[in-house]
Amino acid sequence: MHMTNPAGGLPSRSKRTEVLEKRPVNLDGFVEEWPEVGMVAMDSPYDPEPGVRVENGVIVEMDGRRRADFDFLDQFIADHAIDVAVTERAMAIPAAEIAHMLVDPRVPREEVLAVSRGLTPAKLLEVVKTMNVVEMMMALQKMRARRTPANQAHSTSAQDNPIQVAAEAAEAALRGFRELETTLGVVRYAPLVAIALQVGAQAGKPGVLTQCALEEATELELGMRGITAYAETISVYGTEPVFCDGDDTPWSKAFLASAYASRGIKMRFTSGTGSEVQMGYAESRSMLYLEIRCILVTKGAGVQGLQNGSISCIGVPGAVPAGIRAVLAENLIASTVDLECASGNDQSFSHSDLRRAARLLPQLLPGTDFICSGYSAVPNYDNMFAGSNLDAEDYDDWNVIQRDLQVDGALRHVPEAEILAARNRAARALQAVFAHLGLPPITEEEIDAATYAHGSNELPLRDVLEDLKGAQRVMDGGVTGLDIVKALHAGGFEDIAESLLGVLKQRVSGDLLHTSAILTPELTTLSAINDANDYAGPGTGYRPSGDRWEEMKALRHVVSARDPEREVG
Amino acid sequence: MKGRYEPMTSAEHTADLDPRRDYPLATRRPELLRTPTGKRLDDITMDAVLAGEVTPADLRIAPETLRLQAQIADAVGRPQLGQNFRRAAELTAVPDEKVLAIYNALRPRASTREELHAIAEELERDYSAGLCAAMVREAADVYERRGILAS
Repeated sequence: MHMTNPAGGLPSRSKRTEVLEKRPVNLDGFVEEWPEVGMVAMDSPYDPEPGVRVENGVIVEMDGRRRADFDFLDQFIADHAIDVAVTERAMAIPAAEIAHMLVDPRVPREEVLAVSRGLTPAKLLEVVKTMNVVEMMMALQKMRARRTPANQAHSTSAQDNPIQVAAEAAEAALRGFRELETTLGVVRYAPLVAIALQVGAQAGKPGVLTQCALEEATELELGMRGITAYAETISVYGTEPVFCDGDDTPWSKAFLASAYASRGIKMRFTSGTGSEVQMGYAESRSMLYLEIRCILVTKGAGVQGLQNGSISCIGVPGAVPAGIRAVLAENLIASTVDLECASGNDQSFSHSDLRRAARLLPQLLPGTDFICSGYSAVPNYDNMFAGSNLDAEDYDDWNVIQRDLQVDGALRHVPEAEILAARNRAARALQAVFAHLGLPPITEEEIDAATYAHGSNELPLRDVLEDLKGAQRVMDGGVTGLDIVKALHAGGFEDIAESLLGVLKQRVSGDLLHTSAILTPELTTLSAINDANDYAGPGTGYRPSGDRWEEMKALRHVVSARDPEREVG
Repeated sequence: MKGRYEPMTSAEHTADLDPRRDYPLATRRPELLRTPTGKRLDDITMDAVLAGEVTPADLRIAPETLRLQAQIADAVGRPQLGQNFRRAAELTAVPDEKVLAIYNALRPRASTREELHAIAEELERDYSAGLCAAMVREAADVYERRGILAS
C-alpha cells in the first residue's frame, strides 16, 4: 500500500525506503543529544575544565572545584587515586601529547603509566577526546594489562535449572572461557546454581573461575564459603546521588574490596557509561566524564580491575552520537590507569547483526583482559542478564572471525563429540554432588536432556519448591567448597574434585588477587605480573601463533584443499 | 594513598621479594606461604581433605601472605593495590559477620559519626586494624561534610 503525495499525486515513499524501514537496525532506539540532563556521550559543554592544585601534599583544587566543595567522589579520587607527587607535572602535558604517547607503540606502557597516575578525570576525558576509534584501539592494544587476552561468559538458565547451568558451564569452559558468571531469576536458587556452575566449569576445563551475581552481602558470603571463586558485580557510580541510591559510597565499596582480599578472593568493580543519566542524576555531565570518575574510584580503592563498557546501560550510550566510541574510551581509560578491564560486549543493545559486530570489533581486535565481560554461553532467552551482544548461536561466527583476521578472541571450535561428553559428565557430576549433599535428585532424563539441549525449553521442569528448600539447607547447613570437593570425590569424579580443590587452594597464596589474574588449565596464575603486556609495535606483543593458531584454524566445516569433497575440520 | 595510610613496612615479613623472580608465590616461593592454621600448601591434598584434616579455615589467606603480596604490588607500581592488601591483612582477624556489619555501617545514612568512631576504635583495639580504622574515620569526616550520616 502506498501513501500518495497530495501535492503531486506521487507515492511519498520509495521501494528503497520500504526495504530500509524493515531492516533490524531500525528497531533500535536513537535519541538526539541533551547535554543539560547528561544525555551526551563524551562531548558536553558542561564538563569541567581540567586542572589541579596541590598544597602541602594535598590536592586542594581539581577540575575547577575547590576542596571545600568536593563531593565524595572528588575527595576519594583526589586523596586516593591520583599520585600527588606527579600530578602537577602530568597535568602540564598537553592532552594531545598524552594521546600521542598512548598511540605511539615506541612509548612503553610504563612511561604512559608514569603520566596517567597523575591525571584528573577531566584531563583523561580531554585526552581521549583527541582520539578517534582506531587510535583508541592502537592504544588499547598496548595498555591492556595482561599480555594474553581472555574471555568471560554468562551461564544462566531462564528456569534457574542447575543441570542446564552445569552442562553449559562445561561447554563454555571447553570452548575457552576462563571466567564464568551466573545469576538468577529466583534469587533463592543461588546456592544450587552457583554450585552447578562451579562443578560444570571444572568438568569442562580445570581452573575456570566462577562467580554468581547477587546483592553485595550475599555475593560475599558465597565467596567466603568457596562456592564461588571471584566477584564482579560490585557497582560504583559517577555521581554522589546515584552512588547513594545504590546504597554505597566509595568508602563502603573500598572496605568491601578489602573484605574480599582478606579472604583471598579475586574481585573487580563494575561501572559503565549511562548509569547516572538512566538513574536521573547526571549533574549535566557527559556519560564518559562520570564513568572516568568511576574508574578512578576503583583505582583509589585498590581494586585490581573493573568491568566496564556501559554493561547494563548500553542502550543509553548506544542511542546517542559517538556513544560506542565513548564505550571504547571507557575500556581504554581503565587500561590506561593500569586496571584489569573486562570490557563489556555484554548486555544486548542492537537488533542489527552488523551493528553487534561493529560494537565488538574495537575490543576484539586490540584484545583486552576479557573481551566480553559476559558472552552469553546460552541462547539469549536463557540469559538472565537481559541478553548479551554475543550468544551461543554466534560461536561459529566468532571462530570464523578469529580465523579470518588471525586475531585471538580466546575461543575455539570444539568437535561435537567432545562437547557432548563434557556436558554429560558435568550433569553426572552434579547429580553425584546433589545426591551426596541430600539435595533433590537429578534424573537420567534430566542428564540426557541437558547433554543435548540448546536451551531450557528442552529440559524437564524441576520441582522448584523442593529445590528452593534444598538451597535453603545449603545456606543453613554451612555447605562450603570443600564439601563439594568431597562430594565429587565420593561420586567418582576424582579429577573434577582435584580441579576444584586446586581452585580453592588459590586463596591461600593470594596470587590471583593481582591485576588481570586468571588461572591456566594447569592451575598456574597468569596475571599482569608474570604475563605483562609487552606490545611495542609490529612484531612484538601477543600474536596467536604455534599451537594456538593451529587450534584457531579449525572450524565446523573446513574442506581439504586437495580433496574438496572431504571435510577436515 | 601514600601519606594518608602509611605502609606498615616494619610489621611486614622481611622476605626480599622480586616480582619477576618470585611471583606467583604458590609456585616460586611456596616455602613462604602458610595457611592461617599453620599448614603448608603441600599439606592441602585430596588425601588430607578426605581424612578430614583440611577445614575451611585452612583455605584462607594469612595476613603475612597478604603483606607479601602487598610488597609485590608496590614493587610493580601499584601502591593502591598494595594498601588494599594491607587493609585486607588486618581484616583476616575480623570474623565474617563483623566484616559484613562494618560494611553495612559504612553505607550512606546508616551510621552516626559516633557509631563510625566506635567501629574505628573497636578495629584498633580488638584487631590492631589501624589502616581500616583510619579509613572508617575518614569516611565519618566525609559523610559529615556531605550530609550522609544517619540523623
